[in-house]
Amino acid sequence: MPARIPEPSRRPLLAVGLGAATVAGVAGALAWRWWHRSERAEISPTRGLRAGAAVLSLAVLLDSGIEHYRGSFENPAMVIAPTLALATLGMTAVEDRAAPYVFGAALAVGAAGVAFHSYNIGKRAGGFDMLNLFYAAPLGAPAALSLAGLFGLAAEHPDVAKPERVAPVAALALLGTAAEAGLLHFRGAFQNPFMFAPVTLPPIAAAATAASGISPLVAKAARPLLLGTALLGIAGPILHAYGIHRNMGGWRNWSQMILQGPPLPAPPAFLGIALAALGALPALERTR
Amino acid sequence: MFERITEPRARDGRAPDVFRPGAWMPMRCHADEEEVDFAIVGTGAGGGTLAAKLAEAGFSVVAFDAGPFWRPLEDFASDENAQGDLYWTDERITGGADPIQLGSNNSGKGVGGSTVHYAMVALRFRPEWFKARSKLGYARDWPLSFDELEPYYEEAEESLKISGPVHYPWGRRRRRYPRRAHPMNASALVLARGAERIGIPWSPVPLATLSAPRGMAHPCVYRGFCIYGCSTNAKQSVLVTFIPRAIRAGAEIRDQAMVGRIEMGKNGRATGLLYHRCGVWHRQKARHVVVAGYSIETPRLLLNSACAQFPNGLANDNGLVGTHLMIHSGPGVWGEMDEEIRSYKAPPSLAVTEHWNYHDEGKDFHGGYAFMSGGPLPGGWAHTLIGARGLWGMALRQEMTRFNRMAGLRIVGETEPKPHNRVELADETDQYGLRIPRVTFSFSDNDRRLMEHSIGSMRAVLEAAGARNLWSDRDSSHLLGSCRMGDDPEDSVTNADGRTWTIPNLWVCDGSLFPTSGGVNPSLTIQALACRIGDRIAAMAKRGELGR
Ligand SMILES: Cc1cc2nc3c(=O)[nH]c(=O)nc-3n(C[C@H](O)[C@H](O)[C@H](O)COP(=O)(O)OP(=O)(O)OC[C@H]3O[C@@H](n4cnc5c(N)ncnc54)[C@H](O)[C@@H]3O)c2cc1C
Ligand code: SF4
Repeated sequence: MPARIPEPSRRPLLAVGLGAATVAGVAGALAWRWWHRSERAEISPTRGLRAGAAVLSLAVLLDSGIEHYRGSFENPAMVIAPTLALATLGMTAVEDRAAPYVFGAALAVGAAGVAFHSYNIGKRAGGFDMLNLFYAAPLGAPAALSLAGLFGLAAEHPDVAKPERVAPVAALALLGTAAEAGLLHFRGAFQNPFMFAPVTLPPIAAAATAASGISPLVAKAARPLLLGTALLGIAGPILHAYGIHRNMGGWRNWSQMILQGPPLPAPPAFLGIALAALGALPALERTR
Repeated sequence: MFERITEPRARDGRAPDVFRPGAWMPMRCHADEEEVDFAIVGTGAGGGTLAAKLAEAGFSVVAFDAGPFWRPLEDFASDENAQGDLYWTDERITGGADPIQLGSNNSGKGVGGSTVHYAMVALRFRPEWFKARSKLGYARDWPLSFDELEPYYEEAEESLKISGPVHYPWGRRRRRYPRRAHPMNASALVLARGAERIGIPWSPVPLATLSAPRGMAHPCVYRGFCIYGCSTNAKQSVLVTFIPRAIRAGAEIRDQAMVGRIEMGKNGRATGLLYHRCGVWHRQKARHVVVAGYSIETPRLLLNSACAQFPNGLANDNGLVGTHLMIHSGPGVWGEMDEEIRSYKAPPSLAVTEHWNYHDEGKDFHGGYAFMSGGPLPGGWAHTLIGARGLWGMALRQEMTRFNRMAGLRIVGETEPKPHNRVELADETDQYGLRIPRVTFSFSDNDRRLMEHSIGSMRAVLEAAGARNLWSDRDSSHLLGSCRMGDDPEDSVTNADGRTWTIPNLWVCDGSLFPTSGGVNPSLTIQALACRIGDRIAAMAKRGELGR
């Protein structure tokens, strides 16, 4: 039988992975402290949702901006996603009467985006085969815009968006995002062991979050998992930056490799969703 | 810019590090008078792969190549014409009813062999082809079965991190390819669309170029210069895979070293070889000699090594050395599309149909063919237009303006092994004073029927995809056979291990071993054979059967 095939050393990967985790941890801790600077050590559901909507909007703005630029904005409709993401980002930062309309539009346009991307895939040779799922317009990406809109709207209506309702929605969103990361990391053949992170931790966190309404104990268990998921959202771009470096020309050739390499703005979606869920946790931890 | 490299680079205890500009890696070196375990002639798909396997098994190995040790990151230019140094262009005579065009089309020169400029298509043989005579009723059986080679196909694919589809529609159920398939270019989509419309399966091509980083090697950037040398190291040529592995395991690679003769001892065993390096002939002693110079240079070296004891050349008691040379026929069909195709982007062959390799109904010929989407660069395309359509001057210039809208398909078509298609020695000599090869080739009637059939199928696919003004051209690719392996010493040159029947310490390990050609590109099968031969030699050594 053939022997094991010698592979190039994994040491640089491990070093970068550990480095990224450390940097993300420090950055996350500092941000957490800053966020809590003036209040009790607790965030309200509204703040969580609004922060989640803001992070998601920023991620969608950059991601759709870069990807649609890569597609040369061939269809004029391709400007809608980044424009709307910019608008939702603005609405999360200021109090404005237009906010519900903007968030509602984001919700609708995200859904239309999913439909439009599906239509594009369906008409390609091979239809919904793996190759098209890998490389054609991504199915899941526009859903992030819907989610930003949904979180934004929810933050406006705390009476409707009760923590026990936010938690399962956030859990579902985590699962969807993990599925998308899984698909794309499968496309990259999980060549770096850290590529397994977003397909393991977030689904567990999602399960705990979904079940956090059951008992305060589960909600307490969900907290570290969600914090870990949030850290992944910060560590992701650092690891993706390393991924870009491993492409031809690396960062010296950034204008091409930002397009060709792993997407920098994609992982923060985990951070956005985790923040929304973390906002819902304190109430759930207290129930009964 | 590409500079001609005349001086050897791998010597004095170091060899170029192909992954770092200007860097070196330490290399164990042997003196000529030191008797090494294995001297390997040629470092391509067969020789380079075997060098790594044998060195990793603990043997002392020196592998010779007549060409340079390239540094892809520095040496390779994005210039079709400047890259001519990759090819074996030493003088050769070619004849027969259908003379083979030699050089860029089928033979490389340099460490890594032809894999340095190959198109990376990595397909397995159809399992039945290994028993073509008994199962399909034509040509001959191989001395081994698909089952015996299957684990080595897997090993070769894993070693090259082949990027392939999640499900490949033909052949036996298989383990998932190590890496995912590449996105398809417009030219590949033409094949896919046409195939879907006429109701035959198609697939992304499994390719030996990275779709995700591997160590210091970058993923493919779809620049499309593959057959002129990949300057990113995405292409998993032998030069950037097995050669560094071989050197790390203790093998010595001797570049710019042309082997002119295998030397024989009185006991009927090879004792080493004569090679030309830096203007001087040297003599390397070895316990075993492996010839891996590909289908023309391998028989040429065996024939040029004739001596009093073996007047017809080495391993040639039955006169079979050099015979049954095969190629892959390669007619292509081209057409004009309404939309822009720019088929030169990305690796040249991204979509394939093996339908007529696996479906024998309705064929008026034996054998099979696969066809793939084409992706010529502008210089190559102009050559095609001049050669196939006789265009020149203004007519050529006008046709070139349509280049971006052209789409085309080309087959890899099986040819029959025939004794009169062969490599012999001419009386003329080359720059080293060695007799040059004369290559004779003619298609058989069966080969011609296969080509006609394939032109019909390619036309059907292109028309269904919407191409207009179709026309076809003739080409060929790959060399196979000339020192075939077999079960019967009377009827073959080597056994299934590549060991020659007449000289127990003389081996062959390259494309010349093929008894039949099959309808797919050969290098993966050559590398699987080399992996197997490596394991077999190690096992024989353990059992004390090598000294026989
Ligand atoms: C343009 C092109 C595209 C191709 N595309 C594909 C493809 O997509 N897929 C595929 O499977 N195959 C492809 N091939 C074919 C594939 O490259 C060859 O079949 C394979 O490399 C042959 O392996 P080998 O070991 O027999 O010989 P080679 O790889 O050619 O190696 C032979 C080496 O031996 C050296 N040599 C020969 N004689 C001597 C001597 N006397 N002394 C010292 N050195 C010597 C030569 O310099 C050469 O480096 C392609 C080939 C070409 C030319
Ligand atoms: S297309 Fe890919 S394999 Fe071909 S030369 Fe470019 S990087 Fe290398």
